[in-house]
This record gives sequence, C-alpha cells and structure tokens, in this order.
Amino acid sequence: MNASPNSHPFTTPVTGAVRIERIAFNAFRMATYSILVAATLIFGIIFVKGSETIFRREFPFINVTFLTGSPETLHVFEHDGQKHELGDKAFRAYLESHGNPQVADENYVYSAGGIFPCIVGTFFLVVGSMAIALFVGISAAVFLNEYSRGGPLVEMLRLAILNLAGVPSIVFGLFGFGLFVLFAPVFGPAPDPSHFSLSLGFTYLNFSGWGVSLLSGWFTLAFMVLPVVITASEEALKAVPKGFRDGSLALGATQWEAIRTNVLPYALPGILTSSILGIARVAGETAPIMFTAAYVVRDRLPWQVEHASEVLFQGVMALPYHIYVVSSKIPQNVYTERVQFGTAFVFLFLVLCIALSSVILRSRMRARYRW
Amino acid sequence: MIEVEHLDFFYGKAQALHGVSLKVQAKQVTAFIGPSGCGKSTLLRCFNRMNDLIEGTRIGGGSIRIQGVDIYDPSVDVIALRRQVGMVFQKSNPFPKSIYQNISYGLELQGVRDKSRLDAVVEKSLRGAALWDEVKDRLHTSALGLSGGQQQRLCIARAIAVEPAVILMDEPCSALDPIATSKVEELIQVLKKDFTIVIVTHSMQQAGRCSDRTAFFYLGKLIEMDATQKIFTKPAHQQTEDYITGRFG
Amino acid sequence: MQSGEQNQALSSALKGKTRLRVFGLTFDDVMRYFFGGNATVAVVVLALILIFLLKEGAGFFGQNHTNIRVYRKAGLEYVDIMRAPLEEFSSLTRSLNDVRLKRFRTLLAQGKDVAAANEALTPFDDFANAFGAAASEARGVVSDTTEVASAVKTRAQVSADREEEKAMLLHSGKAAEAAALKVDEVNYEAEIKMITGTAPVWKAASLEMQEKLGAALVVARAADWSKGDKDLAKVLEKTERFISDLPKGESRMAAWRWDEPVPFSRAVTAFLFGREWLTASFWQDWYGILPLLVGSLVVSLIAMVIAVPFAIAAAIYISEVATPGEKAVIKPYIEFISAIPSVVLGFFGVAVLGTALRSLSQVEWLHWIPGFPMTERLNALTAGCLLAFTSIPTIFSLAEDALSNVPKHFKEASFALGATRFQTLVRVLIPASLSGIISAVLLGFGRVIGETMVVLLCAGNRIAIPDFTEGLSALYQPVHTMTGIIAQEMGEVAQGSIHYRALFMVGIILFTVSLLINFLAQRVVRKYRISIG
Repeated sequence: MNASPNSHPFTTPVTGAVRIERIAFNAFRMATYSILVAATLIFGIIFVKGSETIFRREFPFINVTFLTGSPETLHVFEHDGQKHELGDKAFRAYLESHGNPQVADENYVYSAGGIFPCIVGTFFLVVGSMAIALFVGISAAVFLNEYSRGGPLVEMLRLAILNLAGVPSIVFGLFGFGLFVLFAPVFGPAPDPSHFSLSLGFTYLNFSGWGVSLLSGWFTLAFMVLPVVITASEEALKAVPKGFRDGSLALGATQWEAIRTNVLPYALPGILTSSILGIARVAGETAPIMFTAAYVVRDRLPWQVEHASEVLFQGVMALPYHIYVVSSKIPQNVYTERVQFGTAFVFLFLVLCIALSSVILRSRMRARYRW
Repeated sequence: MIEVEHLDFFYGKAQALHGVSLKVQAKQVTAFIGPSGCGKSTLLRCFNRMNDLIEGTRIGGGSIRIQGVDIYDPSVDVIALRRQVGMVFQKSNPFPKSIYQNISYGLELQGVRDKSRLDAVVEKSLRGAALWDEVKDRLHTSALGLSGGQQQRLCIARAIAVEPAVILMDEPCSALDPIATSKVEELIQVLKKDFTIVIVTHSMQQAGRCSDRTAFFYLGKLIEMDATQKIFTKPAHQQTEDYITGRFG
Repeated sequence: MQSGEQNQALSSALKGKTRLRVFGLTFDDVMRYFFGGNATVAVVVLALILIFLLKEGAGFFGQNHTNIRVYRKAGLEYVDIMRAPLEEFSSLTRSLNDVRLKRFRTLLAQGKDVAAANEALTPFDDFANAFGAAASEARGVVSDTTEVASAVKTRAQVSADREEEKAMLLHSGKAAEAAALKVDEVNYEAEIKMITGTAPVWKAASLEMQEKLGAALVVARAADWSKGDKDLAKVLEKTERFISDLPKGESRMAAWRWDEPVPFSRAVTAFLFGREWLTASFWQDWYGILPLLVGSLVVSLIAMVIAVPFAIAAAIYISEVATPGEKAVIKPYIEFISAIPSVVLGFFGVAVLGTALRSLSQVEWLHWIPGFPMTERLNALTAGCLLAFTSIPTIFSLAEDALSNVPKHFKEASFALGATRFQTLVRVLIPASLSGIISAVLLGFGRVIGETMVVLLCAGNRIAIPDFTEGLSALYQPVHTMTGIIAQEMGEVAQGSIHYRALFMVGIILFTVSLLINFLAQRVVRKYRISIG
C-alpha cells in the first residue's frame, strides 16, 4: 500500500500546523536571544569602556588611584606648549612649582581622583542595613513558618509583606526622610525647644530626627529589602523537613528549643545565600538613600570622626548616588567619560559578583543538603 | 495506663474521631489497625498532643487520661507530657547530627551536661534498641549514613533515652524492608518489658505478630478492641472480620 | 509494687511545675512573642509609610487653597483671563509661520534660490505682519496689568511671611519683639480696582484687534496667493473663530469678582486634574499632577509594549521549547539582568542609548517612521526602552512560574489527542496559566511605574503633557514623571513649604497606585486558584 519503504503512518507530515509551530517557536527563540544580546551589549559596553579607566597596561595593571583615591576636580590646561590633565592637588602643586603662571584651564568636577569613599560608603550602608533586615526578616519568617497557625492576623501580615514588596523605592525614600531624617528620636541632655520631646527622667528623647545619616539609610534600606529577606527565609525554613521538628518536640523540646537546635541551624545557610540577592538590591538602590544617607561629596571617610557616636550620624558617599551625580550633573565629554564609565564598571562588577555568588552558592547548597 | 473516654476530635469542621473510648494497659503492646483515614494515627497523636501543632484541630468532647491525669487539662505542661510519652514516626527522622548527638539530644534538653552520664545513657539506649553492636565504632559519624532500618531503630533509641512511660509508634515499619521490619518487631517485644507501647500499623500480620491487644477503627469509630488473639480468630463484628480477611481496606 | 510510686512521679511530672515562668510566661512564650513582634514590623512599616506620607503631605491642600485664594484676590486670575486669548493668538501666529515655511520649502524644491523664494512670498509676509501687529495694543495692556498684579502678590506674600514670623515669636514667648513687628495688611479691594480699572482699555484694544484681524482676513481671502492652500485656509478659519470668541473673554472679565470665595474642592481638583506643574515661578505656582502622571504612564506603556512580548515569548520558550542546556544558561542569565542597578541602566541611557537612538532616527531610510528624526536625545522612548529592561526579568520569571505550574496531566492529555506542541501551548497551557501571566504583567507594570533612576536620568525631565495630536512623535518628546520629580526636587525644597508638601502628595499617589496594582495582581491570582481547583 505504501509507495516508499520510509513512509509509515508515523512519519511527520508537514502540515500547516507544523509549519505554524516552527514559525512561532523560532519567533520565541529570537525574542529570547535578543534579550540576551541586549543584556550582553549593555554589560559589554560598560565593561569595555570602564576597563579603560580601571586597568593599566603596565604594572600594577590596575588603576590604583581610581580605586583608593577621593574624587577631585579635573583641570585641563595647556602650559609650555603641552597639554596637561591634572587633579586638583596636582594642579595646584604644578602651578606652584612653575611659579604660578596664569593658565586658561577647563575644569570638570569629580572627574579626577578616585571613588574610594563611595565604595566604603556603599559597604557601610549594605552591612548595616542587611544586619537589620536579616535580624527582623529571619525572626518574622520564623514566626510565620513555625509559630503562626493562620487566622486573620497572619493573613494581614502576609498581605502587608506582599504589598511592602511592591512599594516604589522612591516612596521608601520619602518615608525614610519623613520618619528617620526628620522625626526619629535622639537622646539629649536637654529638651529640644523646636521639636517634640519626651522626658525619661534621666535624659530626654528629642524627636528631632537623625538627619542625613548612615542610621537613616540603614533603616530605610532595611525596610525596603525586608520582604525579600522574609520570603527567602521562609523558603529556607520550609525546606527543613517536618520530621526534625516533630522529632524534637516528641522528645520534649519546647518549640523554641526545637527551632534553635533542629531548624535554624539547617535553614541558616539557605537563608543567607538567598538573602544575598537582597544585598544586591540594597547595594544597587539609589532612590531611597538620596535624601536619607547619601552625600554628593564628603571629604572624610566614615571612620574619620571625633566621637564614636558620630559614626552612625554621618552621611556617606555611595556608589549608586555617585553614578547619578556624575551622569547628570556634569557634561558628557572625553574627560568626564572616564570617571563615569569607571564608576559604572566598578559598581556593576561588584553587584554582579554579589548576584553571581548567590547563584553559585544556591546551586552548591542544593547539592549538599539533601534529606 | 491510658484511658480514653468518649473522645470526639475535629480537624476544622471535619470530625475525625467519634466518641472513642478505650483503655491501654501498662507494659503491653497495643496495636491500632484499620483502613487509611480511620482515625488511628489521629488518636495516637492525641496521646502526646502532637495534634496541637496542626492548625484548626480541637477536642470536641471526652477526655484522655494518662495515669489518671487528664492530659488536655490546662495545668498539664505539654512539654513534660511529651517527655513521658515518646514517639517514633512513620518516616525515620534522625537529626542530621552524629549518632551520639541524636541520642543525647533529649537529655541535653533536660539540662543534662554530665559527659559520663550521657555516655552511659547513649550506650544503654543503643543497646536497648539493639543497635549498639552495629554502630559503637562510629558513634560520632552522621546518623544520615545509617540504613533505613538502622535509622528507625536509632529513632527508637532516641525515644527510650529520655525514659518515657509510654512509647507511641506511628507505622514505624511502613518504609522498611522485611528484614529491617522483623528486627524492629523483635525490638518491640523486648521493649514491652519496660515500656507501654502503642503502635499504629497498616499490616495486620504485624499487629498479629507483636501486639497483645488490638483495636480496630473504621471511619473514626472504634469498632472493637480485644486481645489480639481473639480479634484475629473470633472477631465480634462483621466489619472487623471483613477487614481482617481482606474484603476491604 | 514499684509502679504505684512511678505513677505518682508520672502524674506530678505531667503537671509540669518545672519550667521557669516570668509574669506567667515561659521562656518559650517570650520567644514566640518576640518573633511575632518582628513579624508585625511589616504591617507597622506599611502603616508608618502611610502615616508619614500623610503627615508631611496633609497640609498641602490647605496651602494650595491659600495659594489659589491669593491668585484670585491679587487679581492674577483676572490677568490670566485677559492673557488667554493672547496665548491662543500666539499659537495662530506659529501656525502661520509653519505655513510660510512649508511654502518656502516648496518654492526651493521648485528650483528657486532663497532670494527669489523670499521675493515670491512678499505678499504673504505683508499679510503675516499685519496679522501679528493686530495684537500689539492688547499685549501692552496685559503686560502692564501683569506687573501690577504681581506687585500685589508680592506684598501679600511679604505680609503672610511677617505674620508667620510674628506667630513664631509669640510662640517662643518673645511678645515684645512680636509686637514690634509690623504687618502691613494688603488692601485687596483698592489694589484690585487698579487692575479691573483697565477693563475699558482692554476692551478698546480687543476691539482694535478684532477689526485689524478682520481686515487682514478679508485681504487674505481676496488675494490670489491664498487660493488652494488648505493649511492656510485652516488657519484663517481658526482666526475667524478666534475673532468671534474674543468678546466671550470680556464677559468673563466682567463677571469676575475678586472676593468671590474659592471653594476648597478647587485646591483638590487643581492638584488631581491640573495640567500644569509650575514651581518657583514669578507669577503663579501650579501643582497639577497630570503632566507627571501622563509622563509616568507614557514611559511605562512604552516599556510594557516592549517588555511584555519579549518577556512572555522568552518565558514560553524557556518553559516549553528550550533544551535543558539552554534552560540552565538562559534562565539565570535573565534573572541576572534584574541585578543590574537601575542607576547603571540610567547612566547607560545617558551615555550610550540616547545618542544611539537619536542617530538611528536620523538615518535617511528610516524617515518613514512617524516622528523621526527625534529632536531630543533623552525622551520617553529612551527611558521606556531601558525600563523595559528592568521589568523583563520580573515578568519573565513570574510568567515562567505560571506556565510551569500548569499541572502536567493537562499537557499530556492534549498530546495524547495528537496536538502539536504549539497547539497544546495555545489551547491548553496559555489559557490555564493566563491569570498567572496577567498578574506577572501587572507586577511588571508596578515595577516600571515605581522606577526612579532610569526615568530621572533618561526621560528628559520636561514637565509637559506630550502633544498627542502629533501622533507617534509624542513618544519621542521629553517628559517628567512622578518618581522623577520627587527625586529631582525633594533635595531643593524648603521643609514644610507648599512645594515640599506637593511632593509628598505625589508620593501618596505613587503609593496608592502601587497598592492598587498589587491588589489587582492578587485578585487575578486568586481567581486563577479557584478555576484550577
């Protein structure tokens, strides 16, 4: 009956349906790959242009000044028939050593020197806010996953967490400004006449706000990232088998003992790796710290303070805010491009490293903890 | 030892136990049998109030007394209760710690820190669970390295280490192969000298082999309870006979 | 028997008097409340956000009411009624210029040189000059009254400031100093007479304008050079309508009363429906959210139009088509994109994409696309493209979850009936996961509309509603957004000022929008759960 030996009822007939399928699937494939290409282009351009600033052809191969110096104004001028590009300090030294000649210089703020204070500031912001977020977030997750038995209150908590995750970061910024910068209480020896103040007997609580400070930034960022940490922690807690809890309880452990000895130790690695994504978010956000913690420029590093208490109440420079400043407040040209792309490179590199380590650690974790 | 009177039990709105009354004798093995969902595990988990942890569960009526104490009385401390009423679960659940730490865990909860006492209890419990000879050389390796049957016996050793009065076993052999099962069954026979044991099982052979008394449950009701010998040879109820002869379930 | 003794021990052990209690709480209870307390932080923070936004934003409507009252009392409103026809007239003149430019280009295209073309347009120019001159008298009147009104306003502001200062002094107990501070009451009634007194002059100027324009129209209609020009005819027609509408403004001026109370609702509507966001102006500040809202929506819609097809296609590809190898690489890579900080994307827009898009739009053979070439480097499209990038990972992973959560047996049943993979996808998988996909899109939208740094850096920050009459090219116009305005202006405003409070009001709107989107997404998902179960 069949004409050729190869044709049997199960060959694929090239019908219209098959043709449509091929076209559609190819379109999906193209769409997917174009996302990847676009992303790669963005990474590529920033890395290629940024590496011109970061790397050097000769030893030590890395632009040390850029990574360890503070931002300076760049002076571009001609003198003795030579074109010079010098940072602020070098420029003044040059003028002095050449008998203070009158030179026509163009200057560009922040375009010389380095970004060390920004790196340090971002580090401080991330560490502090993550510590707060992890503490509150893990505790909240323990309550939701271990203690809560449902009911309207827990429903409300979950709804609040879900909604908190959707609040725009700039609104967190406004909130942090309103609450922490302007209103949060500080201890003081005397009541502050211009603000609401509360007598505690031995000292006063003045609701005069924390100002633009690390502390304000920490809490703002911590609350912003809280939903991420809670969700991550809950997932890790859920991954711990129920038998561990039952086993402990059946031996007469209180619930807290069961959690402390047989749940948290096994959930903690998972919680921490998933929370790294939260770190990437905290490090990357600009809007919440714009009015709560970030300074455009600050000469002193966070540890250069007179009293230890000032550490918390000082603003810092931060990488994301610095990128915003250098890409919006100074003109685009050959001289400013270096610091712009260099900063973006360093920042993107750091954030991607954090994200990458989360991905790698997570897959390792999955391989190690199987029960 | 354990007296249950007219117990009604609810999961939310669904009633899981209907007016169950029975007595469990001390130093005997009592088996609960019946088809899935008949309420036998629910009743077992009432004995050490593990059901407290499940959302929406409640006692609708009746009481459970252990040594004359109503265990659902507000004055009863559920933690103390669970120290007296141990439990072995369907799926063996050793903690991902060493064998030694698994056994000593219960005592450490009670605040025992004395190393020599812990050592003694660990050895005694492991011997009690017939596991000592198999693991004595690797007490400090992970318990997860043991075979399934060994893990379950470890869980039994863990339970007896805190010297409870009662041990509840919730289908302890359902995940084990026949050889491991027979070892656990032998162990049960030994343990009943010191402990009151209540075992829920799916396997009628197992109930027949190792229990002194058997209770048959169906749809949340206790159909009948009697000496095992009698249940398996001359059941009083048609349903029991149908179940035992394999006509349903 | 020993068991009696044992029983005793057991029953007393069950009573559990062993545990330490403080205030009737065991340590376990304390821990439980501790964790519960931490869990409520989420609710507390949400409530605090609302409270502090409201606390700082609350005074806005009151201040805006005062702002609008002064606008009326000082006669600014009156002057604006006068000015309105002049602004309309200016737009007429602009269209006339466009007509000239078009004619000029046609002439050049016909091979004439510049001088000859200008020569040929002389009669047109004569008409245009006469047309333009018609309003000079009226312009003079308006500029005079403008000065008077703004002087009144300045005085009103000074006395308001003084009064505030006085209140502060009194509050801090410096009564003597407060008494020394003199507050000049502004006599609005007297001042306003100076402004309304110009009505007859304005009327004369307006009449003159009507006459001159009418005359110019007659000339233009009669002349040869106006024949067959549709654009010009349109302008002339508009002018006719303009002339007949002029007296209407006069009647509004006559009906205007400086002491007519401003209803409080006006302060609200002026914010919610105001088409102008004008701050630090010498004349009158307006806080209308519409241009910002529209800007946010335009940018977000562009982003969604780009992101949704790509993200969903990728989700389908990864969950249904891709090989395991592709899956293992592409999925984390796309999720990786979400780690790119938005400020870096914004910088990329400023430094690379904006310029690239504009030079692309200047390529000759793309000129058929409406609105090309673009005039601005940073505009709604640039921001939209980059925003699409921030929402692609969100939409992708949620949609992919929704697709892979479809029970396997649905798919198998379809395959068993001989359906191709594509048919299964369209007929079974997508309908079954549709609500999940919709909620993914909604959440992606929420992410986009709340995004700050990209729009702040790339949207061009021009506070104006894009001119949608120009079709697609409205998308290449610079816009400003709700998030952008807060980020940009918050650092510069005085705490407690009306501008400051207006920014918090924008924050409240944003907060509300984000809650609304979340609510919708949850509704959609809940519906989906029921339909599956």
